[in-house]
Amino acid sequence: MFSNNQIEIDSLPKVEDLKLKAIDKRYFNIIIFNIIITFSSLIGVFTALRFVIKKAVYNTHVYWFLLVGLILFFLIQFIVYKLGFKMRRYAMREEDIIYTEGLLTNTTTTLPFNRIQHIEIARSFLARKMSLSTLKIYSAGESGGDLSIKGLPKEEAETINAFLTKILNERV
Amino acid sequence: MNASNFETPLRQSKKGVIVIFGLNIYKAVKQSLIVLSIFFLRYLTSDNKLSSVNNYVYLGIGLVVLYLFIHALLKYLNFKFQVLDDYFILNHGILNKEKTSVSKSKIQNVYIKQNLIQQLINVVSLSIETAGDDKTEIEIQALSLDQANALKKLLLQNRVVNTSLKDQEVTETTSVYYRVSIKKLLLEGVSENHFKSFLFILFFLFGVYNDLKDFLQSLEIKSKFDQYLNLNETEFFSLILFNFILVFLLLILAFLFSLIKTVVENFDLTVLNKNEGLEISKGLFNKISLGLIPSRIQNTTIKTNRFKKALGLHKLVFTQAMVNKKQQKNFNIIGLSQIQVNELINRFYPNCVSNIEKRKPEPYFILRSSINFILLLLLLNLIFYFLPNSFYFINIPILIVSFLSVYYGFKKTYYSIDNNYLVIGGGKFIETHTSFLELHKIQAVTLQQTVFQKRKQLASVEIFSASDKLMIPHIKVETAKQIVDYLLFKVESSPKDWM
Repeated sequence: MFSNNQIEIDSLPKVEDLKLKAIDKRYFNIIIFNIIITFSSLIGVFTALRFVIKKAVYNTHVYWFLLVGLILFFLIQFIVYKLGFKMRRYAMREEDIIYTEGLLTNTTTTLPFNRIQHIEIARSFLARKMSLSTLKIYSAGESGGDLSIKGLPKEEAETINAFLTKILNERV
Repeated sequence: MNASNFETPLRQSKKGVIVIFGLNIYKAVKQSLIVLSIFFLRYLTSDNKLSSVNNYVYLGIGLVVLYLFIHALLKYLNFKFQVLDDYFILNHGILNKEKTSVSKSKIQNVYIKQNLIQQLINVVSLSIETAGDDKTEIEIQALSLDQANALKKLLLQNRVVNTSLKDQEVTETTSVYYRVSIKKLLLEGVSENHFKSFLFILFFLFGVYNDLKDFLQSLEIKSKFDQYLNLNETEFFSLILFNFILVFLLLILAFLFSLIKTVVENFDLTVLNKNEGLEISKGLFNKISLGLIPSRIQNTTIKTNRFKKALGLHKLVFTQAMVNKKQQKNFNIIGLSQIQVNELINRFYPNCVSNIEKRKPEPYFILRSSINFILLLLLLNLIFYFLPNSFYFINIPILIVSFLSVYYGFKKTYYSIDNNYLVIGGGKFIETHTSFLELHKIQAVTLQQTVFQKRKQLASVEIFSASDKLMIPHIKVETAKQIVDYLLFKVESSPKDWM
């Protein structure tokens, strides 16, 4: 029962035709919170250095340069994340799951269901407060090709998890 | 040897005590290397050398060695293994007794290895790798070769029957497919990428430089060199010459390093033809023997460079699923002729080479790789700005190399997708590599597009297998999407599993 007919490339199901679903908008708050934490701790370190390094040149010049630089960097990162947030989308088809993200480098990764090894739901402290979840889907091997969909509503993540687990168990 | 021998719990060969003892000492020395070297340096620099080592030190060392020996003895006595029904059972542990049992069907690989101690006392070690966790690797450190082979056969027996559904009475045929000659081994070593070893040695020296600074200063190499050549008056010229000679010495060191590394790693490389696949064995100090099973192979890459190609030398690199990182780098065969490479590729990828239909990336590839080199040049010139003017001349060789790299990089890069296989070729000015992957071994596919690619309607496709990733760079976005759709269709519609 082996058949090997020619395949019309145009007739294949297309990833691009898909309506991708955006992740939960509230996840943006978590992203912003995380960058604010990073930057304020950096600013904290530089400010603390003012008291350690008692040289005038640091307090009058270097410190302010660093501060302005950091704030500029923060603003750029904020804009990139803000614009890039819309790019974080996912979709499921009959046979695979798709996740796309990235503003400067956009990547769309598709992981077929029959290559999934295991699934994991991770929830950070903040995500728990907002009832959001991160769904991690692993394929075999260490070379990458794993999906991590951040900022899914809790129920949605659990539904997908249950759905995929069912497929996984039926596969054997 | 009869398989039933393994049904009762067995200890390792008695020589195992020596192996474990040797390993214990090795580990102890390795762990306390820093402390030991500090003591050693202090001993060297102290004035009254003999009196600073007193009896307590000897006593301490003696006690540690005694402890390590007793530990080895107990470890040996408490280490028992057996094969019962379909399980491999291992009891071990001196105070914390552990019992590990592994179902034969879960065993992924069985390796036979031999390190220096084991070679001296003529025993081998056998390690069993299971699916999943890296840490569940089991190692029996001392067995006679016959015993190890019998156990290996017993452990792998069931699986072969299960997967191939063949009659159990298949006769084992083993023949030597290939054995590397000393001449080829030396040629391989000579034609290695010495620049890599050069960088490795350079970074190593930078790493230890700080520790050895005082020691080097005490040797006063520089001033001796100056005296020797009488160049004190032309300070700058002597500095340049000194550096040139230093670089030259480093180059010789790098050359010897890669030559010796190649010979030691691949000494007596032998490839055996077996029913279920190939078996590679090699190594001078650490002998190792690995089984290569077609269904486990993920990616295969042919590697060669200009010099090797002229000498008729090719290297085949395999990656296998469920193999730990350390073992992975041993899955390669060097010194193959073009005919042998074709034969092996044809064996693991039937009808693949004849179906290759080379398709090229878009010319944007050239622009993109040129930009990399331009950035590198800008950075270098920024550094040269602070150095004497003569350094600007370094730009000329770098420019030539960059140009050749970009030109040949584009010339050598291609991809080919047919019904069963994905083939990707690539390289630089000197090296060339060709990777093969069976389509049903793909794990995931990524379509990648940077903002610059987007403006030009281009994209790249990244293909993940269980052990490696391949990239089709800079092709038209419609083509890229078609490729993604096609690869996914192949994976999802095929009942073949990836291993």
